[in-house]
Amino acid sequence: MDVPTLFLFGIDIIRFSIDLATAYGLYLIVSLTLNLEAGFTGIPNFGKVLFVAAGAATVGFVSGRLAALALGVNTFGNYNGNIQVIIPPLDKLLAINPVLSLEILFAGFAIAAIIGAVLGLLTSYPAIRLREDYLGMLLLAAAQLFQIFLGGYEPLIGGSIGISVPDFFGWAGNGIELRDVVVLGFVAVFAAAVYIYVERVARSPLGRTLRAVRDNEVASRALGKRDAIMRRNVIMVASAISAMAGALLAFYVGSVTPETWTRITWTFWIWVMLIVGGAGNNAGVALGAFAFTFLFKVTDQIKFSFQGYIPFDVNWLEYLMFAALLILIIAYRPGGILPEKSSATLPWKTLSEIIQSKPKRSTAVLGPRFASESEKVDETGSDG
Amino acid sequence: MLPPRSRFWERRRKLIIGVFLIGVLAIVCFGGFWPLLLRVSVPSYYLDAIIYASLFGLMAIGLTLTYLTTKVPNFAYGSFVTIGIYTSFTLFKLDQLNPYVSTLIAFLFGAASSVGMYLGILRVLARRGSSLIALMIATLAIDIAFVGVFGIFSDYLTSHFGILDSKKFFRLRADFSLFGTPGVLYVAPISLALITATLYLFLNKTRFGIALRASVENPSLARVLGIDVERAYVFAWFLAGGLAATAGSYSTLWLAGGTTSGSNLIVEIFASSVLGGLASIYGAAVGGLIIGATEILLTQAGINLIGSWVSIYQKGVPLAIMVITLLLFPQGLVSIKWKVGLRRLKRPVQGLLYQIRRVCKESWVE
Repeated sequence: MDVPTLFLFGIDIIRFSIDLATAYGLYLIVSLTLNLEAGFTGIPNFGKVLFVAAGAATVGFVSGRLAALALGVNTFGNYNGNIQVIIPPLDKLLAINPVLSLEILFAGFAIAAIIGAVLGLLTSYPAIRLREDYLGMLLLAAAQLFQIFLGGYEPLIGGSIGISVPDFFGWAGNGIELRDVVVLGFVAVFAAAVYIYVERVARSPLGRTLRAVRDNEVASRALGKRDAIMRRNVIMVASAISAMAGALLAFYVGSVTPETWTRITWTFWIWVMLIVGGAGNNAGVALGAFAFTFLFKVTDQIKFSFQGYIPFDVNWLEYLMFAALLILIIAYRPGGILPEKSSATLPWKTLSEIIQSKPKRSTAVLGPRFASESEKVDETGSDG
Repeated sequence: MLPPRSRFWERRRKLIIGVFLIGVLAIVCFGGFWPLLLRVSVPSYYLDAIIYASLFGLMAIGLTLTYLTTKVPNFAYGSFVTIGIYTSFTLFKLDQLNPYVSTLIAFLFGAASSVGMYLGILRVLARRGSSLIALMIATLAIDIAFVGVFGIFSDYLTSHFGILDSKKFFRLRADFSLFGTPGVLYVAPISLALITATLYLFLNKTRFGIALRASVENPSLARVLGIDVERAYVFAWFLAGGLAATAGSYSTLWLAGGTTSGSNLIVEIFASSVLGGLASIYGAAVGGLIIGATEILLTQAGINLIGSWVSIYQKGVPLAIMVITLLLFPQGLVSIKWKVGLRRLKRPVQGLLYQIRRVCKESWVE
């Protein structure tokens, strides 16, 4: 079954919308996790690509092997070497076996999340002990190393040529469009879940604690908040979610190539979304991610019409455009399009009602020594 | 403010440093030197090590200068190196100009773009009160913009002048040879030594140099004394960009180049600067020498001892050194009290010498 087509300005609008929505969902997930780290906790994660790529690489390594094992496809003892022979029968078998496909899909997500969390733990060990600038350098360097490792270490995902991932959405239909709609459904559910999670964290006491750690580390430490452990947990959770997003992308695209995981694609673009939208505000980040993805996809569509007039690749202009946009936003609107709002607390009326309804209990908790002056005066008055 | 250090590292710091140094030395000696003993000629990776070390020394000095003045890690610093690479590459391809000559032009280009970045973007943002993270991401944005500019430039070279290898090119065949070894082997270390010596003289003997040091160490006090702090900072950035471009220009004689080759060096440059302490330009020079030499020699030792697959982890060496530096002595090599350590070593060494002398005397008497 195919999705109907609708052409507008020479662009297939429905096709374009599906692509846009899928890309937006994936970018939204990763940018929300970056918001959790950088926006709420103040961890300058300049190595975001490491965690996303780790998730994708996990899928590239694990999922095909699992499928081959479960379906009894012979790998001749060398999965990466015989990948061209193994993938077509795997695809056929998986297409008629939706339950197994889904099982391996979720297993892939789970393993990617675990790998992401472990990598987050490893990088957080030096990270939580360092100041912002050192931490930024260290994460950037770690991501660079990981990219070289992916490109060089062949047993993992076949070195610089990359690896194919069998199609775990093959059961959704032969036409590529319907498969895309199913993937979009997955991405949408995942993105919505992440949004709700991050928003709930932001509105909870935990969220306020994270902001306290970000704004004044010493004061939060003095109030008994363990900032190092907070940071470690945030890095681990955010990395696990990012790795899952990377895994989803690998399942969707059907291949993992180290070249696509660079400092530009999955660190810098994500930061652009965060800064443009508004760090520390989830709605702002969602808006920033949409603005970025929309601009990006539209340029992708129309850049071929420029190709004849400009003596260079139009992609380079994208780099310049987004870099300039980012710097302008930092200069003229440092909070982003939707700046961070002060954290929501109960209205003063409700608070005073709560206080008035339980006066005795508050005194009992605080103890007689901390009772207010007026109460003391009353006590002495009654005695006399 | 220093990053907090855990007690574990505090207590075992000396032990870990000692074990690490001995381990590195042992690996380099056993893995690196045996080919030297078997062959008469010097293996090429020794040249690699010397050239890498000198180039990273130059780059680390520049990065440290930019960090000292703005206190922002400059992620765009690698692009200044690429400016040097492309200046030399273009002039060599178009006018057959030797990279040693075009180094001067590259210096000016690198310095100009560095000053432009400082005055046009970083200072504007800092005066508008941007946070440290915002400034860091701005430098990353500038790096990406530079990559875009280099891409446009290399496409232009291809389409306009028909230079097909403008995106990725091998070392330029323009170097002279002295005693059978390439000239850059002498030029790069000598340049590093000369530049460090000149900087030392400049910073300690000239009025402007002393003013520069004062503006770095205490800007407000320097301003009170009538020093033009801004001019000093601009000069520091001028020098930083120029040194990076010089290093890039030399590197075309020995290494392959491309649009992102400078940006990819950022790991080593940061590692060198951090090892030097991010606050001392002499420390940075030493840090660059150590990082460059260890990276090549340790990887080569690994290849000799274990297998050729070790070469993937070449960039892991500077990263590991950076992590160890940050955990053990975050203020870098400069902060280690070498004299105290030597003084502590003095007594056992003297005791040993005394014993030897006594034994010798006794045997003489007999």
